[in-house]
Amino acid sequence: MKHNIKVVLSLTIISSVMALLLALTNAITAPIIKEHENSAVGGALKEVLPEGENFVSVDLSKYDLPETVEEAYSEDNGGYVFKLKTAGYGADLILMCGIDGEGVVKGVQYISGNETLGVETTYGEKFNDVTAENIENVETVTGATKTTTAMKNAVKDALNSAIILGGGSVDIRDEATILNDNLKTALPAAEGKFAEIFITEKKGNISAAYKAENNTGYVFILGEIFVATDNNGAVLNAVDDTAKTEVEAVAAGIINSTMTEIDISGFADMPTHVQKAYKTSGGNYVLELRAAGYGINGDKYTRSGEYIQIKVSITADGEIITCKTISQKESEGIGDACAKPEFYNQFTGRLESNYGEIDAISGATITTNGFKTAISSAFTAVKILKGGA
Amino acid sequence: MENFKTLIIILMSSVLVNNYVLSRFLGICPFLGVSKKLNQAVGMGISVIFVMLLASAVTWPIQYYILDTLGLGYMQNLLFILIIASLVQFVEIVLKKFIPSLHKSLGVYLPLITTNCAVLGVTINNINDKYTFTESMVSSLGCGLGFLLAMVLFSGIRSKIEESEIPQSFRGLPVTLIAASFVSLAFFGFGSIVENLIGG
Amino acid sequence: MSKNNNMSILLKGILLENPVLVLILGTCPTLAVTNSVIGAFSMGLAAMAVLICSNTVISLLRKFIPDTVRIPCYIVIISGFVTIVKLLIHAFFPEIYALLGVYLDLITVNCIILGRAEIFAGKNTVGKSVLDGIGMGIGFTLALLAIATVREVIGLGSFAGMEIPFISDYKIEFFVKAPGGLMVYGIMIAIVTALTKGKVPMKKEFACEGCPSAGVCNTACKQVKEEN
Repeated sequence: MKHNIKVVLSLTIISSVMALLLALTNAITAPIIKEHENSAVGGALKEVLPEGENFVSVDLSKYDLPETVEEAYSEDNGGYVFKLKTAGYGADLILMCGIDGEGVVKGVQYISGNETLGVETTYGEKFNDVTAENIENVETVTGATKTTTAMKNAVKDALNSAIILGGGSVDIRDEATILNDNLKTALPAAEGKFAEIFITEKKGNISAAYKAENNTGYVFILGEIFVATDNNGAVLNAVDDTAKTEVEAVAAGIINSTMTEIDISGFADMPTHVQKAYKTSGGNYVLELRAAGYGINGDKYTRSGEYIQIKVSITADGEIITCKTISQKESEGIGDACAKPEFYNQFTGRLESNYGEIDAISGATITTNGFKTAISSAFTAVKILKGGA
Repeated sequence: MENFKTLIIILMSSVLVNNYVLSRFLGICPFLGVSKKLNQAVGMGISVIFVMLLASAVTWPIQYYILDTLGLGYMQNLLFILIIASLVQFVEIVLKKFIPSLHKSLGVYLPLITTNCAVLGVTINNINDKYTFTESMVSSLGCGLGFLLAMVLFSGIRSKIEESEIPQSFRGLPVTLIAASFVSLAFFGFGSIVENLIGG
Repeated sequence: MSKNNNMSILLKGILLENPVLVLILGTCPTLAVTNSVIGAFSMGLAAMAVLICSNTVISLLRKFIPDTVRIPCYIVIISGFVTIVKLLIHAFFPEIYALLGVYLDLITVNCIILGRAEIFAGKNTVGKSVLDGIGMGIGFTLALLAIATVREVIGLGSFAGMEIPFISDYKIEFFVKAPGGLMVYGIMIAIVTALTKGKVPMKKEFACEGCPSAGVCNTACKQVKEEN
């Protein structure tokens, strides 16, 4: 019994004395630690914007900023620091981004997140001295596409936010939203629901055409102008006369075009790239092609084993009307650029003599060459088809 | 669903990418000491998983409901280590009394865990990383599984080392450490695999 | 107590019973913080401070603490000092606090400290215990510094953050990463073994019986040993 009391007593006394010592130390250190933490916030701001002075937190409720912006601080020289929250490979990737009064990025720092690749901590350096104009030139990192793309988009949001906070206005809508908004304005009856159509007939300077899903009409894009027509190709909205004439000249043809499949098995010399062929009511040809890009010809451990599927419409004289990538499984972040309009739209209006001059996809020679070979076979195919069975 | 994905990421990265033993160096002592035989490695590993889960389940509410509400954050270290020590004692007593068979196979390893820095490490890390209770449990499970995995893999390698001709001064611990270095190097490869598995 | 004797208590921790390279204790922090010289040095000093304090207090209280609960008492004392040191570092050296992170908390379970409490401070006078603490602390710090120097110079081409010309062009990052730590530590022990052949009772095996907390889990240890 006596022993037990001693045991309990000794443990209690030792624990209490230690607790007391701890409380004492804590009382001394707590205020100092608190001060450090406060100045650490100022320090973190200074780290991404070294020339910044007297940071003041900005009340975000007054502005319509991109969702990634969590906090914003303004400073005496007109610069801003943004705390950005985005999602990379894991959720909650937190960045600090400092932008000076001239709209130039002065520092991007990775604060925290669930990324595991290590690239996130150094990738921010690539944005030093970048502006809204040249941020597209900053390349994402292969193998860490998700993380780096998220970071790049967050920095873009910060640049836009700096313009908005500085009193300017900037379009913070993404490209798809902008397109849809324009379509909606041109043809309100469609209620914002459009489907792109694959143009198979002569199209003049029209770059793309959309059909209202509720069959209320069509919208043609002519440069920057959005021209709405009814189902017979008559222009509905107010556009200048040249645009009107230009659209009406081709609209009906595009709208009313029909196509009939041609049995290609009868053509002995038909290139193997051609999967299906159609003849349109306007006398043009539509070909479904498969291209052997990196998915087929790439490194045997990384290739996907899939062809690039391409749809192309081409006149009987061998001029490409429309070219579009339907599906592909090329390398993520490299060859998959062949699915972007910037790439395949280059073929519009090309002939057999000059299709080869298009810009290749950087870093994806196999993809580009495979794509080109398929296109060259389309010209051959049209010649064969024209010759008749 | 996003939540579920976060949990999977926490689990995968604590098992493979941030493996406690091989990349964060927690729990090196038992890793080197008790990995000679496969059955020992498994026994130790399972005990560690068990204690980690239990310790996290107890320390998480204590941190958030007692220490933080009372402003006693500085008592964390002292309280956690005492909790772990008493938990281990308690579990051993309970096992011995009620499930003697399990005590026979695992009980031996329990006392060795008291001063295992991986257990204290996981409880403190869960708090530092601001995990929710569920996330804490998942990360503890992951760290435990990672420990078990490292132990099991390494016991296989050690049995090979035992049979090899090794220069005099490298015998024993040095060669074991160097072998551990290679295993750790192998785990580096998991970094990008996890992104590709779950990231897409 | 001769002067000679005191000197040997102090020196044995540095050389013949170096806790890291000969006794193989405290492996976790040894590996974790030695990717930078500054981290290693701060960890060494922090652990030394805790070691000296806990050795002093434990040897003062050695007659008061009942044998049955000595380990919990030691743990409370050690963990208390760890927190004090942690709070002080946090307040006065915030950069080092950020650098050491959770490993600062883990000094609590560093077996060097509990080991010296169990093996030495619990049985010796205050004076000797303080000397033992200083000696072991210096030995720990020096060993960490040696490992960290190799890792940082080869791995980052710098020493204590200062870039070394020429070498920094040929850095091998492997050495500052986890596998490099294990390898350098292994090679260091092998070198010490080779150099001190015959003079030092080198520990050939790393198993339970070498663990300073063996006293706590006596039966467990024996069983593990038998199975081996």
